[in-house]
Amino acid sequence: MNQKPPMKTFSITILLVFGIAGLVSAADGQDAPLTLKTAKERGRARSRFLKEPSLDMKPADGLPTANVDDFRTSVAPVLFKSCLACHGPEKSEGRLRIDQLTPDLLTGTDVERWREVYNVISNSVMPPEDAPDYALADADRGKIADWLSGELTKASLIRRESKVHSSFRRLTKYEYNYALQDLLGLPYALANPLPPETASEDGFKNSSELLQMSAMQFETYREMGLKALKRATVIGERPQAVTYVISMQEEMNKTMSGKDAKLFEKSEDNDRKHRNQPHLFNRETGTRVQFANGKSTPQPEAVFGQTPAVSPVVLVLPQSKELKLDLDRFLPDEGIMRVRIRAGRSTMNPDEYASLRLRFSAHTSNNANFSQVVSERDIPVTESGDNPQFIHFDIPLSDIQRNPFRKLATTFPRRDEFLHIQNVSNTRGKGERLNVLIDHIEISAPFYEQWPPKTHTDIFIPSDNKGDQEVYGREVLNRFLRRVWRRPVTAQEVDLFMALFLKYRPGFSTFEETMLEVLATSLATPEFLYLTQRVESEETNSPGNISELELASRLSFFLWSSIPDDELLALAEHGKLREPEVLTGQVKRMLKDPRSRRFSQNFVEQWLGLDRLNSVTHVTDSSLKDAMHEEPIAFFEEVLRQNHSIMDFIHSDYALVNERLAAHYGIPGVFGPHFRKVDITSETNRGGLLTGAAILAMNSDGKDSHPLKRGVWMLKRILDDPPPPPPPNVPEVDLTNPEILKMTLKERIADHRNKSACLSCHSRIDPWGIAFENYDAIGVYRTLIKDKPVDATSELFNRQTLSGMDGLKKYLLTDRQDQFARAMVHKLTAYALGRPISFGDRADIDSLTAQLRQRDDRLGDLIELMIRSRLFNSK
Amino acid sequence: MNTHSILLSRRAFLRGTGLALALPWFESYAAAGSGAEESPKRFVSIYHPDGVGLPLKSDPAWQDWSWFPRGGEKDFQLTKVLDVLEPLRSEITIYSGLSHPAARQVHGHSNADQYLTGAPIGGEGPYQNSISLDQVYAEHAGDFTRHSSLVMSTNGGVGGPRGAQTQSFNREGRPIPAMNKPKEIFDMLFVTSGKDAAAKLARSKSALDLLIDNTRSLGRQLSTRDQETLKQYLDAVRDTELKLAKAQKWIESPIPEVDTRNLHLDAEPKEARLYFQTMYELIYLAFLSDSTRVATFQLGRENGEGPHDLLSLAVGLHGAHGLTHEVKKPDGWKNLGTYNRYQAEEFGRFVQRLKETPEPTGQGNMLDNTLAMHGSASSSFHLSRNYPIISAGGKNLGFKNGRYLKFGKGNEDNQAGAGIDTDAGWTAKVEVEELPLSKLFVTILQRLGVETDSFGGQSGTLSRV
Repeated sequence: MNQKPPMKTFSITILLVFGIAGLVSAADGQDAPLTLKTAKERGRARSRFLKEPSLDMKPADGLPTANVDDFRTSVAPVLFKSCLACHGPEKSEGRLRIDQLTPDLLTGTDVERWREVYNVISNSVMPPEDAPDYALADADRGKIADWLSGELTKASLIRRESKVHSSFRRLTKYEYNYALQDLLGLPYALANPLPPETASEDGFKNSSELLQMSAMQFETYREMGLKALKRATVIGERPQAVTYVISMQEEMNKTMSGKDAKLFEKSEDNDRKHRNQPHLFNRETGTRVQFANGKSTPQPEAVFGQTPAVSPVVLVLPQSKELKLDLDRFLPDEGIMRVRIRAGRSTMNPDEYASLRLRFSAHTSNNANFSQVVSERDIPVTESGDNPQFIHFDIPLSDIQRNPFRKLATTFPRRDEFLHIQNVSNTRGKGERLNVLIDHIEISAPFYEQWPPKTHTDIFIPSDNKGDQEVYGREVLNRFLRRVWRRPVTAQEVDLFMALFLKYRPGFSTFEETMLEVLATSLATPEFLYLTQRVESEETNSPGNISELELASRLSFFLWSSIPDDELLALAEHGKLREPEVLTGQVKRMLKDPRSRRFSQNFVEQWLGLDRLNSVTHVTDSSLKDAMHEEPIAFFEEVLRQNHSIMDFIHSDYALVNERLAAHYGIPGVFGPHFRKVDITSETNRGGLLTGAAILAMNSDGKDSHPLKRGVWMLKRILDDPPPPPPPNVPEVDLTNPEILKMTLKERIADHRNKSACLSCHSRIDPWGIAFENYDAIGVYRTLIKDKPVDATSELFNRQTLSGMDGLKKYLLTDRQDQFARAMVHKLTAYALGRPISFGDRADIDSLTAQLRQRDDRLGDLIELMIRSRLFNSK
Repeated sequence: MNTHSILLSRRAFLRGTGLALALPWFESYAAAGSGAEESPKRFVSIYHPDGVGLPLKSDPAWQDWSWFPRGGEKDFQLTKVLDVLEPLRSEITIYSGLSHPAARQVHGHSNADQYLTGAPIGGEGPYQNSISLDQVYAEHAGDFTRHSSLVMSTNGGVGGPRGAQTQSFNREGRPIPAMNKPKEIFDMLFVTSGKDAAAKLARSKSALDLLIDNTRSLGRQLSTRDQETLKQYLDAVRDTELKLAKAQKWIESPIPEVDTRNLHLDAEPKEARLYFQTMYELIYLAFLSDSTRVATFQLGRENGEGPHDLLSLAVGLHGAHGLTHEVKKPDGWKNLGTYNRYQAEEFGRFVQRLKETPEPTGQGNMLDNTLAMHGSASSSFHLSRNYPIISAGGKNLGFKNGRYLKFGKGNEDNQAGAGIDTDAGWTAKVEVEELPLSKLFVTILQRLGVETDSFGGQSGTLSRV
């Protein structure tokens, strides 16, 4: 805009022009300090969306026309007066000549430029602050903004017809995985071989344009499908399981009779030291003997699932200690290994928790070893040692790293495999320590709940026609294809697959093996791999709408990232899904279903770009990193479930934390690994998403905070106002220059910003990021940087002062509520539709935003508004 | 060799020609139109565990038994360890100062796994590898040949995590089992009928027919724009069809017949010389018959044991792995150097053989179209830095040989970590600058025709190569 350094003084005129009536910021120094709560109320009162409920415009009678007359008479004079000097014949800053833009937005080609003009005018970014000669009076600014807003909306309506983006798209890798899991009832990762997806500019991985298909990928689909089908089904007789039973009573007997039994002495010191090691303990006699490594071989006679009387002899597992069980080399290659452990707690302090975790390892030779956590999640031990509970883990043996030498005929490299049972707890030093007490362990593989397993009979359904392969084959196919294609199938379609079956049949010994090959083919069909929308539709009166069956799929991929279930399909088949109460009921049901967690997780991860946390190396504690990653997801779930306002994402007086994260944030009294809502005060310096450790850590450079990254993140993810990419000739910051090395980070940024090539972009980005400076590279609140007080005060392009995080939040809440609400609607719509939002969607997005604002910005309401919206229901 | 008298008699007509290809197969290959006029580009990587001898300058053994050459890029002098390669001087390049950054402080015993992948596999705990260099190329070139790659090692199978017995890892980072029995490798390459493959192929073809029908009928119900998107799916199906057609060609075309005179298919690692030569000969024959263009061969496993320790019997020494531990004993450096010299000798013999064989397309000799790499993921004792690497051939791919290329800074005389025989070496801080080996891999991939500018998380090529 200009070559001058930003002005350092604050003038009265500026306050008058930019401190628009009612606008208050922390730096204004006006009356009583503004609280976040009042900021939110004031900001809401200023909403444009709430003032103009007529935004929900529909083309009623014929097409709207351009209002060029108003432009000529009232808009152009004020616009040119303020803008022409820099964007006219003399100078054309930003390659914009305002006098050459056609005022007909409906047929003209300058719509995108006008939208930029609208943005800078309505956000008071232009005319620049330090050009008071060209300042725009409030009334004039309003005139321009109103005219543009109306014309842009009309243009959007017109362009809808020529909308370029479609929701017809391939499933993402994660959707394909969930779809296969839900279809076959297998709770395992099944899509690993697929390549990862690329994220769209909005950050979404389910964006239709980017979901490509290649020959390599196509073949992978077929292979994965067949592999998954084979896992879901069984052939032949129930296999003999190997079963290990480990009774601590017997282990005690064995250990005591051994030569090397390490009994604990009674002397106090020795005792305490040893008690922090895993050991066997006879609760009746008080005998304690060291025990950390067990060895077991399968017992052919053993019965799995026994409930013996509780034994006085228990294994005592102190915090983070483990029992290492040598299982030799008898575990089968495939199938589920069920590990059943009877465990209790030694103490019952409610602030302490203990849980069990499984690891699997082998040490094949010197330095050739591995050890991996194989349990999906830690399972809490909640009962007391006097009344222990059974805990079980199911581990898919073909999915975990195994000892490749287990079938070797020779003894080297070593063939054994080890199972580790670990106590993960938060117990602290004082008083009697919480240990996990285990008296009985059973391990069995392959484990089946029933025979044949349900996953098998869901495909090879019970039928009286099993004797007739052609009749039964059609029954199997009919049921399976309906679920694969998410619609009823015709007899002719089944015939095609039956013909394939008959062609394959001679090559296989059983009906089932043949059928699996045929079913695998159906898993490579486009109707499984793509979200389709057919041209013809049963709703002849609204030809732009998707059918009910397509709606069922769109719903389930939106809220479950997967295929619809039988209930949803049946309603759609009977044409009942669009009935308002039915639809409401279904959305409620879907959000209650555990599968809706996938929505929260995938949407939040992609919206906020949480993938970047994976490449962060400066957070070394993995439990902290996991907690950081989980926080925004748990927060989103809370807002969704409680139907809170989306403004809570900007600031809330509560946080969602677990013990690890609470410790990181300095929030006392939070115990246990699960996330829960806790009330916080302003001293906590948290609340909302912006101060989440994940956001702060992933937008750091490994050593320190990174204001630029944080600013860009903020603009892109929260305000949906992405800055342009850096120009190709960015001068490097010269870190060998001693003058530069002396500067603080903020000074360095200012120095960089003052280079003319960098100014225009950085002055739009940096101030946002500097407001985050009170948070270090791992998101811990700080008031000092290298013994200097943190300077987190910055000034936005429009002269707005942001005083740290509190000031940033206040500004957003007072001045940017509409922008954030619209950004949220934009992001959620892009995700729900699986396609980029184009200019043509503007009117719909505005209308949805207005409705959301009228409903007090409630997230739950937004989901429902979305599902009822024209966009969600049209092709 | 008595075991293949039948095979020998079948191809008796080829005797004495020195040419190993049977014409009928060659014609059908050309008919398949898969680029027969262009010479095939080949890649082979030989891996030897345990590293090499790196005595200190002050050690009397330095003069003769330090692995790295002396001198400059062109005027380098080979020590006794590599002097067997002197006749091939103009065909080879020797590198120093290269290693995978993620493994520089991982114990040498654990590092064979990441030599061709560059993955941060670490020294303990969870284990995840990534795709190896050869398999990236195999994805590119695998369609041209009957076998996409040939994966061999003396110990066979996959080994254990951090104790790999294969050099090849797929795109998911899973190890690809290596073959170690010459007879089985020979049968796979030149005997197997492929009846099962044919049946599987027939099934795939019927499935594709159905999918194409199904896609067309769906397409008719979509908007023009969505049909465009669906076309991508149809193209993928068609590409797969083409692949199947090629596979069909392989199944129908006769197995290439090769000259088996240099093969000792019953050789075992204890007959080290015979075994080595037979394994190399199998790679040579696989290349010559264009059965594959990609091969890896791992000589033993890190930390010794099993067949590995028998390999040094070729030079009359026991316990190959132990040689690295015994360098401070009398003749220690010499013994290790002698074994390394033997490895170089066999590699040289293989390179020479490629050089002497005219490319079947008539464009130069086979070596000119082959990049052959020989190396290890450790230099000195358990030290995962400054990998000793030799490459040979590849003239037509753009490699200029006859050079000793030193990369990095601060270790021009290869003394960092030299002379150690304790773990103080590999655990020590990295004091000198080395370049990521992956940069060489990117160069190799590009010259093999793979469009990429990164490998294993490292981008960019290696200058001067």
